[in-house]
Amino acid sequence: MMPELFAALSPQDWQAIRLTLKLCLYTTAILLLLATPLAWWLALRQSKLRTAIQAIVALPLVLPPTVLGFYLLLLLGPHGAVGSTLERLGVSHLAFSFSGILIGSVIYSLPFAVQPLLESFRRMGPGPLEVAATLGAGKLDQLFSVVLPLCRGGFIVAATLTFAHTLGEFGVILMLGGSIPGETQVLSVLIYDHTEAMNYAQAHQLSLGLLISAFVVLFIVYGLNRRFEREAVL
Amino acid sequence: MNNIMSNLTSTVMSSLTRAMQQGWQHLTPERQASQPPAAQSLQLQLTVKRGAFTLELNHSLSLRGVTALFGRSGCGKTTLLRAIAGLDRHADAQIRCNDVVWQQGNHFMPVHQRRIGMVFQHSSLLPHLSALQNLLYGFKRRVKHSAIQLEPAQVISLLELQSLLPLQPEQLSGGQRQRIALGRALLSQPELLLLDEPLASLDQQSRNEILPFLQRIANQTGIPMLLVSHQLDDVVKLADQLVLMQDGRIISQGPLPQQLMQPQLAAIGAMSLLHAKSHGSSNHLLKLSIGQQQLQLPAPQQCDNANYSPTSYRLRIQARDVALSLTPLTDSSVSNQLQVSISGFNNAPHPAETLVQLTLEGQPLQALLTKQSAERLGLQAGQQVYAQIKAVALD
Repeated sequence: MMPELFAALSPQDWQAIRLTLKLCLYTTAILLLLATPLAWWLALRQSKLRTAIQAIVALPLVLPPTVLGFYLLLLLGPHGAVGSTLERLGVSHLAFSFSGILIGSVIYSLPFAVQPLLESFRRMGPGPLEVAATLGAGKLDQLFSVVLPLCRGGFIVAATLTFAHTLGEFGVILMLGGSIPGETQVLSVLIYDHTEAMNYAQAHQLSLGLLISAFVVLFIVYGLNRRFEREAVL
Repeated sequence: MNNIMSNLTSTVMSSLTRAMQQGWQHLTPERQASQPPAAQSLQLQLTVKRGAFTLELNHSLSLRGVTALFGRSGCGKTTLLRAIAGLDRHADAQIRCNDVVWQQGNHFMPVHQRRIGMVFQHSSLLPHLSALQNLLYGFKRRVKHSAIQLEPAQVISLLELQSLLPLQPEQLSGGQRQRIALGRALLSQPELLLLDEPLASLDQQSRNEILPFLQRIANQTGIPMLLVSHQLDDVVKLADQLVLMQDGRIISQGPLPQQLMQPQLAAIGAMSLLHAKSHGSSNHLLKLSIGQQQLQLPAPQQCDNANYSPTSYRLRIQARDVALSLTPLTDSSVSNQLQVSISGFNNAPHPAETLVQLTLEGQPLQALLTKQSAERLGLQAGQQVYAQIKAVALD
């Protein structure tokens, strides 16, 4: 079996790899934009809503992905609230589409983006921002001159964790997107399909590839974590 | 970004060289005269309820020189300072600085638009920036919108920051960090400096390093300072005026020498503050005059430095270091003997003692005597007596 590991990948495999990378990059970009204000609000505001929001953000950590995928299918499908509204507007519903699984993975990876950001915002505290404000820096200026440099570690860890977690996503995509080549058939789904079809060699190739890249990404995350812990805030 | 930084750095360095050549001339009185008028008036109307604590103010503060906001810990000093800065927003507060409304009704001018410089209790240097970058953080932002009163080179020489500039915050001592923070606040071209216990987190040695710099800033920049402190010693060394706070209220305000006569302050440490003119020193003795009367004191070491010879001094005198006699003493070792008149008596913390209020050439002075001595001498208000001053601290 070993020599087969190094055989050329099929066009279908390459398509799945490209689709997976696209999904990971889009999810990471969208989540950084969404999670930053959310983590900011959770870190610095004292509100009764906070506990509820925190619990909702953490839900994907404990729910089986099938449950999440099931409800998203109901919501985004042709008969769901969101899907039927879109249909009426002349846009197609989101089940079994790339946009659908993108929404699914954004929700599924939300805690992995929010937690590291929340942690680094808390570690920074409101002090440096107050200092910057008294020195004439407005909110946007504070974001670029204080928050981004001081919480750089948090942003990098959030991005890599989101990327890696999306790489390993399976249940939500299978429930919500099925396995349409080029649209929703990401690596994890394709591996499942290969296995079902008894193509163990191809499944093994892709699995080993995923295993190694997941290890490399996590290795980088822990390395960064160590480095940023040493750069403790004064 | 980097370009701006390096441009600024080179500007700083070239004006620094100029400053080195010209020494202290940057801060001569002529230069001060071109600066905007120094007095600021703050109108405050503020109610803050926090648990059992209530801060309630409706006051107008005229700020000139150094104004100390003094009171015990927890009396609301820092809460007030943060409200003035705009760091906390309290409902229904009204805050005006001169003619500019900072807060009223729904109007709330954000912190970064208020022309204030603030120095916090704990080190507040931005840890990802070098000392120089920290120093210029506010300057870069305010220099676009406002006339420059203070140049980086002036502040660097005023606070002796040059050797610290290339260092990172973690390489600096607590006192050095506070000096950079002070310089940074000054360079943001403030119309008002807010100092929130800037010495409280420092050990005694660092404190003594910072105090002279605060005095220099007060004397040479003319920017009014509001200094929050619960250390009467620091206040007496620095302040011109004192606002006394107690349990969330301002209970009195006025010039420091008169305020020191307040019984609330006498209870903490009865002392007096006299302003004296300097007439130079000879034989290591400094000659001072208050009105028509003369004093001689051991000259401070800095007097040897030709660059630093102040024309006036602040004399801090503990009430227990002042003795009174009905006639001038000729056979005493105490050489500083001044003619004063008694203006009244106050209760001292100890029941056996009394605080005698004196007037020396129009300036208030107080002496701590036992009630027994006062009765023995038959001291009465309006009486002329002689005050023997045993010890003086010079600032």
